[in-house]
Amino acid sequence: MSGESASAIQRSQVDLVDFIDWSGVECLNQSTSHSLPNALKQGYRDDDGLNLESDADEQLLIYLPFTQVIKLHSIVIKGPEEEGPKTLKLYSNKEHMGFGNVNDFPPSDTAVLSPDNLQGKPVVLKYVKFQNVRSLTIFIEDNQSGSDITKVQKIGLLGTTVETTDMKGLKKIEDHQH
Amino acid sequence: MVLEATMICIDNSEWMRNGDYAPSRFQAQSDAVNLICGAKTQSNPENTVGVLTMAGKGVRVLVTPTSDLGKILACMHGLEIGGEMNLAAGIQVAQLALKHRQNKKQQQRIIVFAGSPIKHEKKLLEMIGKKLKKNSVALDIVNFGEEDEGKTEKLEALLAAVNNNDTSHIVHVPSGPSALSDVLISTPIFTGDGEGGSGFAAAAAAAAAGGLSGFEFGVDPNLDPELALALRVSMEEERARQEAAAKKAAEEAAKQEKGEGEPSGTQEATMTERANGATPEADNKTSDLTDDENALLQQALAMSMDDPAPSHELRDADMSDATTDDPELALALQLSVQDSTKDSSSQSDMSKLLADQSFVSSILASLPGVDPNDQSVKDLLASMQSQTEPQQKDDDKEPKEEEEKQ
Repeated sequence: MSGESASAIQRSQVDLVDFIDWSGVECLNQSTSHSLPNALKQGYRDDDGLNLESDADEQLLIYLPFTQVIKLHSIVIKGPEEEGPKTLKLYSNKEHMGFGNVNDFPPSDTAVLSPDNLQGKPVVLKYVKFQNVRSLTIFIEDNQSGSDITKVQKIGLLGTTVETTDMKGLKKIEDHQH
Repeated sequence: MVLEATMICIDNSEWMRNGDYAPSRFQAQSDAVNLICGAKTQSNPENTVGVLTMAGKGVRVLVTPTSDLGKILACMHGLEIGGEMNLAAGIQVAQLALKHRQNKKQQQRIIVFAGSPIKHEKKLLEMIGKKLKKNSVALDIVNFGEEDEGKTEKLEALLAAVNNNDTSHIVHVPSGPSALSDVLISTPIFTGDGEGGSGFAAAAAAAAAGGLSGFEFGVDPNLDPELALALRVSMEEERARQEAAAKKAAEEAAKQEKGEGEPSGTQEATMTERANGATPEADNKTSDLTDDENALLQQALAMSMDDPAPSHELRDADMSDATTDDPELALALQLSVQDSTKDSSSQSDMSKLLADQSFVSSILASLPGVDPNDQSVKDLLASMQSQTEPQQKDDDKEPKEEEEKQ
């Protein structure tokens, strides 16, 4: 199964960071000096010194809209051993959630991260639940050690786009092109 | 000009009956609320403001965040004073109201007026503050009224829990001669973190402090720009008209003498006035040729009219030096003068007059502003005199002229 998913990644998955609609990206409870782009944007996220950190407590709520519909296959979360995230809840196509209503709907998927995952091993998700994703909300509920601050070094999303199956490169695909 | 949704929490508890803030604490609070609403909506037209009361029977939302200032002001009427303030519940309801704002792009802000003693524990307030910070809601606290021990401490603790990068503020307003609103105007609550509403705030401050005397015409340009502009324009027009009248008198004298000594400066000034739409500075006419359009029309008419061909030199000799080159103006003046010399303004008479080159030249001579040696003037006169057709053409042209006149 893991072999299959590994080959699936090689075969068809694309790093979806290029399809993120940056104008609508939100992150609640992030610390101002250590904010979401540190974990998401190319260049920053590969630097392990730059983290996304939580502020008032250990939870984080990240909202990522996409420029087009995607299918999400797996995610990569890298973080330090102690303060890295543990329980992840993913909600597909729910806009503007707050900490108050995260418990109101069941998540599309839940992931508990192991230390392997924190090293960069992708977490395979229930693909069937993420077939038609316009926006993704990631709720980081707690961290590995239970400390007050959660740190995330990298968030990567692997999947495919729906509109087109153009696998050539990571070029952003404009609307209405073939 | 930050896009913001604001909820204002009003304290309408029994403690607000006190008169240590003139006229009463509640009134002072209302004025402050009105000012804040105005400032917020002015700094960004898409800003929304909502109001809720914290005391009385319970926390009650009077108006959900809206950009309609009238609605907000209306809901402030008929508020009753009574009960005890429930700060925690008030803030939480405000947070809920902001969560359901229509435009999710707006920043969330709560402004709390804390006038009565606070019965909550510091811990509870800190937890509330943390929750606000987690949901990126900014909080402004106006501490006035009761000076209870521990109240200030609790509010400061609340602020510390909420504050994220100095977006939240607390203001302590002691009772005194200056009104609550005046004190608030200079605070970051009004000025929106240093930018944005400062224009409104500055104007409001000036109006409040020095009365309206600071402003021209007694009208605040910020509050009523159209009125201020209208007043200014009419003042200028009046000045222009008065100058024109003065020039007219001076020119009349000059014209009657047919002298050439009129200072060209005067003529230029009058011409400028004319450009402003004031009545032309030509002398005692009853003519209706008072603007450039008519002048241009007359020029067109003149060009289509026929003239016998007198000598150019006569005209040249007669005309005086001038510094302007406005042939249309000259023409208009000529025609206006001609009109006044006869009672009717019939076209045929005028054309006949125009045809009379000597008359034209004498008129031109009396105009200090016209340079006969100027090429454009010469061209104009040449065009007039180039017509060699018989006068009957005038009659044909008359109906056309009538049309043009209209």
